[in-house]
Amino acid sequence: MERLKNIADLIKVKEQYHMQQKRWKRQVLVCGGAGCISSHCEAVQKALRASVKDHFLEEEVNVLVTGCMGTCAAGPVLLVEPDGIFYTEMTPEKVEDIVLRHLAGEEVCEKYTFYDHELHAHIPKLENISFFENQVRIALRNCGRMDYASMEAYIARDGYRAAANALNYLKSADVVEIMKRSGLRGRGGAGFPTGLKWEAGMKAVSAAGRKFIVCNADEGDPGAFMDRGILEGDPHSIIEGMLLGGFAIGAAKGYVYVRAEYPIAVARLGEAIRQARAAGILGTNIFGSNITFDLEIRIGAGAFVCGEETSLLASIEGQRGEPRQKPPFPHEKGLFSCPTIINNVETLANVAPIVLNGPEWYRSFGTRESTGTKVFALAGDIVNAGIIEVPMGTSLGDIIYKIGGGIVGGKAFKAIQSGGPTGGCLTKAYLNTPVDYESLAQLGAIMGSGGLVVMDEDTCMVDTARYFVDFIRDESCGQCLPCRNGTKRMQEILERITEGKGQEGDLELLEELAETIKQTAMCGLGQTAPNPVLSTLKYFRQEYENHIIDKHCDAGVCADLQTSPCCNACPANVFVPGYITLLSAGRFEDAYQVIRQENPFPSVCGRICTHPCETHCRRGQVDEAVAICSLKRFIGDYSLRDEYQVPLVTPQAPTGKRVSVIGAGPSGLSCAYYLANLGHQVDVYETEPVAGGVLYWGIPEYRLPKAVLAKEIMAIEKSGVTIHLNTRVGQDISFDAVKEQSDAVYVAVGTQLARLLDVPGEDLIGVESGLAFLKRVGLKRDLSVPGRLVVIGGGSTAIDVARTAVRLGARSVTVVYRRTENEMPAGAKEVQEAREEGIEILTLTSPTEFIGENNHVAGIKLIRRQQTDYGKDGRRRTAHIPGSGFVIPCDGIVTAINQDVDHQVYTIAQMEINKFTGQTSQEGVFAGGDINPWNSNVAIQAIADGKRSAINIDRYLGGSGQLNKGGCFTIPEAPDNEVDEPHMRFKTRILPVEERYDNFKEVDSGFHKLDAIGEALRCLHCDKR
Amino acid sequence: MVQITINGKQIAAREGATIMEAAKQAGIRIPSLCQYKDIHKYGSCRICVVEVEDMDHQQASCITAVREGMVIRTHSPKIRSARKILYELLLSNHPRDCLNCHRSQNCELQSLGYELGVTESRLAGEQTKSRLDISPAITRDTSKCVLCRRCVTVCKQVQQVGAIGAQNRGFDTVVGPAMGLPLASTDCTMCGQCTVVCPTGALQETESLTSVWKALADSDKRVIVQVAPAVRAALGEEFDMPCGTPVTGKTATALHELGFDDVFDTLFAADLTSIKAGTKLLNRLNVALTGGEAVLPMITCCSSGWIKHIERQFPDQRDHLSICKSPHTMLGARMKSFYAEKAGKDAKDMFVVSVMPCIAKKDEIQRPEMQVDGHPDVDAVLTTRELARMMKSAGIDLVNLPEGDFDAPLGLSTGAADIFGVTDGIMEAVLRTVYELVTGRKLSFENLQIAPAVGSDQIKTASVTMENTLPAYQYLEGVTVNVAVASGMEGASILMKEVAAGTSPYHFIEVMGCPGGCINGGGQPRTREEGYLEKRSQALYSY
Repeated sequence: MERLKNIADLIKVKEQYHMQQKRWKRQVLVCGGAGCISSHCEAVQKALRASVKDHFLEEEVNVLVTGCMGTCAAGPVLLVEPDGIFYTEMTPEKVEDIVLRHLAGEEVCEKYTFYDHELHAHIPKLENISFFENQVRIALRNCGRMDYASMEAYIARDGYRAAANALNYLKSADVVEIMKRSGLRGRGGAGFPTGLKWEAGMKAVSAAGRKFIVCNADEGDPGAFMDRGILEGDPHSIIEGMLLGGFAIGAAKGYVYVRAEYPIAVARLGEAIRQARAAGILGTNIFGSNITFDLEIRIGAGAFVCGEETSLLASIEGQRGEPRQKPPFPHEKGLFSCPTIINNVETLANVAPIVLNGPEWYRSFGTRESTGTKVFALAGDIVNAGIIEVPMGTSLGDIIYKIGGGIVGGKAFKAIQSGGPTGGCLTKAYLNTPVDYESLAQLGAIMGSGGLVVMDEDTCMVDTARYFVDFIRDESCGQCLPCRNGTKRMQEILERITEGKGQEGDLELLEELAETIKQTAMCGLGQTAPNPVLSTLKYFRQEYENHIIDKHCDAGVCADLQTSPCCNACPANVFVPGYITLLSAGRFEDAYQVIRQENPFPSVCGRICTHPCETHCRRGQVDEAVAICSLKRFIGDYSLRDEYQVPLVTPQAPTGKRVSVIGAGPSGLSCAYYLANLGHQVDVYETEPVAGGVLYWGIPEYRLPKAVLAKEIMAIEKSGVTIHLNTRVGQDISFDAVKEQSDAVYVAVGTQLARLLDVPGEDLIGVESGLAFLKRVGLKRDLSVPGRLVVIGGGSTAIDVARTAVRLGARSVTVVYRRTENEMPAGAKEVQEAREEGIEILTLTSPTEFIGENNHVAGIKLIRRQQTDYGKDGRRRTAHIPGSGFVIPCDGIVTAINQDVDHQVYTIAQMEINKFTGQTSQEGVFAGGDINPWNSNVAIQAIADGKRSAINIDRYLGGSGQLNKGGCFTIPEAPDNEVDEPHMRFKTRILPVEERYDNFKEVDSGFHKLDAIGEALRCLHCDKR
Repeated sequence: MVQITINGKQIAAREGATIMEAAKQAGIRIPSLCQYKDIHKYGSCRICVVEVEDMDHQQASCITAVREGMVIRTHSPKIRSARKILYELLLSNHPRDCLNCHRSQNCELQSLGYELGVTESRLAGEQTKSRLDISPAITRDTSKCVLCRRCVTVCKQVQQVGAIGAQNRGFDTVVGPAMGLPLASTDCTMCGQCTVVCPTGALQETESLTSVWKALADSDKRVIVQVAPAVRAALGEEFDMPCGTPVTGKTATALHELGFDDVFDTLFAADLTSIKAGTKLLNRLNVALTGGEAVLPMITCCSSGWIKHIERQFPDQRDHLSICKSPHTMLGARMKSFYAEKAGKDAKDMFVVSVMPCIAKKDEIQRPEMQVDGHPDVDAVLTTRELARMMKSAGIDLVNLPEGDFDAPLGLSTGAADIFGVTDGIMEAVLRTVYELVTGRKLSFENLQIAPAVGSDQIKTASVTMENTLPAYQYLEGVTVNVAVASGMEGASILMKEVAAGTSPYHFIEVMGCPGGCINGGGQPRTREEGYLEKRSQALYSY
């Protein structure tokens, strides 16, 4: 290009460029960002060009390569303009199809366009994709929108206008003033106002007559690639920013410090610098002014600490990358002892638009204290991993869900790491936090340079802290003691905890150590090094304690604390790989015994368990999780086929100790079973006329046949447990009397008080709670159902009520739920089966009033809801849509929202339950099951609680706490059946809807024996290590 | 002056002073480890942290300058607990073999624990591996290093050698030569200044006591010891005598008691060196003044560290050296030849020990030119510190010993050589010798104006004009001889750059490898006493 001497020259280049562009009918922009390069966009590019040629479209289709478009996870991506169609996950084959059908055939290939996982739909147009819709791109204005290698393209998008204008018509002080008024703050993380920094640089007097401006492009945070995106996608924006900065502070020389790991950035920036020099934009007499400015790239060797400004300067000077004492600050004594201003890449990318459009324009984005936009790199367990730019103050939840597309695999969000390895973790309780400097700092996190690492529920926070501390330990420069030795010791302690060798006092020591490192380290790296430890300890202390006391990693990450992910996920710690192997070897009864060692209800759980084991099954990463729950059911059913042949455990000799259990639900019976096997005399008191508790009356027959439950309870009784039915403690016998007659008491009364909705009309006749409904039907006390029923709630209870009502003859049943279907606590299978049975499900709807006639329910007033911000539990909250109310006439309403413990009788409110032992504050009294405040109210948790309490009760009674679980089983070698081809689950047999909707026959009749064995062979045997 | 408050006390502090300096002035001692005199203010150990109001983090007081209005707390509960953790961190990466460490009770890390009142160490974990690097003069043990980096500063900034630096990073950081090379293969001059500043047992002289004890126990060996002047000016410090106490007589007694067969004074050989060097200088001046080619300036070569330095850094300028043996090897050579003959002993049965303030001499005696027929001129060099240890282990109470004498005939000297141990000592001795030779008169001190040179406190210069010369030296009449003295490699390098450029105005240059000369040698007692150099040199001049 010829030398550009003034603004008129720039305008000429712009016009020429636009003229040239007009001849193309279409432009295909292929993303050439680092993410797409690693997913082989070059092959796509080649195929595209070849195909365009093959179809004789060379004259009308222009193929060009851009910088990063942002959707790195969906790469390689391309954009067809002017249609605005955005294609993702391109391959050479798909791209040929697009050329044929779209470029030549004028037909949008929808199946290749962006897929929205929330909406479960393809969104062809870029402008409609929520990822782009919610962004404002200033620093990224050109990234992914133009040919990164073309300076003409940059100029055509008003590039270098700001610089030409400033150099010709403004004074240094004017530029400084513009930056000050814009409110732009350092995007490297600390957030120091850029204008003030430049002012200090401008006023600084250099004894040597030299000043420098330095661009910090030593982006080293794991999961951060914003600066890289800008350098690779729009290198001229950095040159222009530095030119303006150099002009403002009076520097004639600038350095760009880039890490060696960014070779593409170095090459593209280097080429841009050559272009700029050739055009006279760098050098002497720039744009006809008397300004001289030039740039040099310095490549760092990849030491993280060199991102710290004083270390960076040392590195440019050729010294070992170690920090220096501040003050003096770099603007006083910086590079080669001269005044130096250091800005981050993103900061510099914002400069030209601010100077061009004015500070007020910039201030119109963002918040008062944090103006403008911020670029973030989304990484981790997030659907749309990539680079985004949003106005400051956008909420964390919106970034994760609206732009980020939520969590991969529909898992639950657990935490987000902001500000790199030395930043902090924020939890689901903080999704409403506006992302700006102040708000994040208030929560103990930092904005940092913009790396956001999203972690899902399968993340172990202790392991995460260990990982980040390990990173920092590795990157510590070694100059000052607290960082050098302190990070090493923190890492060792954390490693110990994740290996199950944590000790009491470790957390306190960690805290003391972390606080000292934070206070005494020399530079920012060391001072923030303990942040991962401090912030995870603050928000996830419980998880640390579980590792240290329980030796359990809830997320199933820490390998030394588990035999396999499925076992680890099971609250009762059932040896899943063991019984699956026995099953595949045809040893069904042995398999039953292996399950029964840890859980006395195999057949029951095989039907109704929430099976967290399957969620963590590694096979799920290949194709589909092993159907562990159904396999368990098969084993149970097979073993119990003859009730006189139930395999049993022989109890130990009587100990003479007596234990009373209150409540014959799963928790009470489990506890009783294990205690009886130890030789203790156990009496169970049950209010109802049948044992089983909620398993009996709370779960309808079509899901859990009463006969199955009865067999497993009978097996428990055979161990010597005495169950006293129709005996309500507090009424038929006093709690004190129970305590009097026993050496220990286990309270497992469950949660049976229904919560109220708090809407008018709840006292009308025809309104009942879900549990009350199921109980009266389950105990066959009253089988009447209203003709038109509305059920409120989204859990299993609500769905069970609805399906029971259908079976009992209700004409119409509607389930009303206030959130979306994705968020329903009931299983997707249950919901689908309910629909098949004719049940209507209204989501994002809630009741406002129960309408009565003559004191009886006659209808329900409902209102539509919409998603708003985020609740403390991380779920999207919903709110009424004003004016969307409507009425459904009905004869009965069942509220199935939540249950509470009945505190009246047992004064459990006054009992503090120890999380790790189940012991209460009352001597000899233990408690567990649903009343345990730490539990999720599911059967398997109740069973696990009962078992653990049996151990602790035995210890309390002077025993060893070693349960008598029966004999040992040698698990055979798993057959080596590695199959290369994926294979989805074998299917169980489901009753067709017409055979089930009007009766209580079991809907799922389980596996055929052959299928069960086949399914068992799908196990990957993670326990074999 | 700026007004600051430390622990509630109002203090006027010098502008630019560090918090630590201001506190010291106010009688408040802030514990520290890495900081060393004015030489090394680095802030790496953080032990000296203090609380400063309105600052987010605790500040290292050794590198933080005072500012008007600062409110500082130096021993608050927070600070004391931070220091405790920091100390525990130090200990967690230290071998803790204090009971059998040569620095026991003379270890700054050890005393720091006492000062901080730390009585527990809760942190344990991986420790830096012990890698021993034993060069002829210096022994390094990475496991005992606390990475204060004093040695790096003294080597790079003070001596301008830069043989060692921080290698690797983070917890793997070790101090040593680049790429893990042994010290002996680097540009290390073996001056041993690093061993003087090391606060722990990481750096020390390579020990020679074993061979000396062995020789003493061997009845067939005649074991001769010679003592350099600077040793006697500092040895007392090792026995808690006040700095600057001369202990020449007591040393002679002690050496006899240790069982050495002959106890000689290196001063005798120093006189030989002065005469030899003076003569060589006269020869070169003669050649130069009579139109011949002579290599000037002539440079002394008594300092073995300096010899190594010039060989490595200025190999082309080696001809400037006076090519005299250093005094102790000169003496050693006489022992093995002339004295052995006199004593009727075979050279192989003579064992010569030099007690030196220097560590580099340990290296020097292993040089091939310091051997005759496979017999080294000197068999072992002990440092002042080693001699003290030897005496202690033999139960010799130096303080209460009677004054003794060195043995004749090699125990006598002129006195001019006494001052070999301080900077400008050799130069003075040589000049006196030359002046006396040339004029037949003693040099009066008024004629000798020694002035510090501009640009370095390691250089001094002087001039003396030859008047009324003896007839043999007529050619020197009215000639002004310019001399310069450098103590420390930095000053030496400055002078050498002039020499290399051909712009040196001097006829004679004395170089001592250690800053301050032999009294501050690498083998001398470690002291943090103020003004110790002056006190030691006074002790030397007091003879």
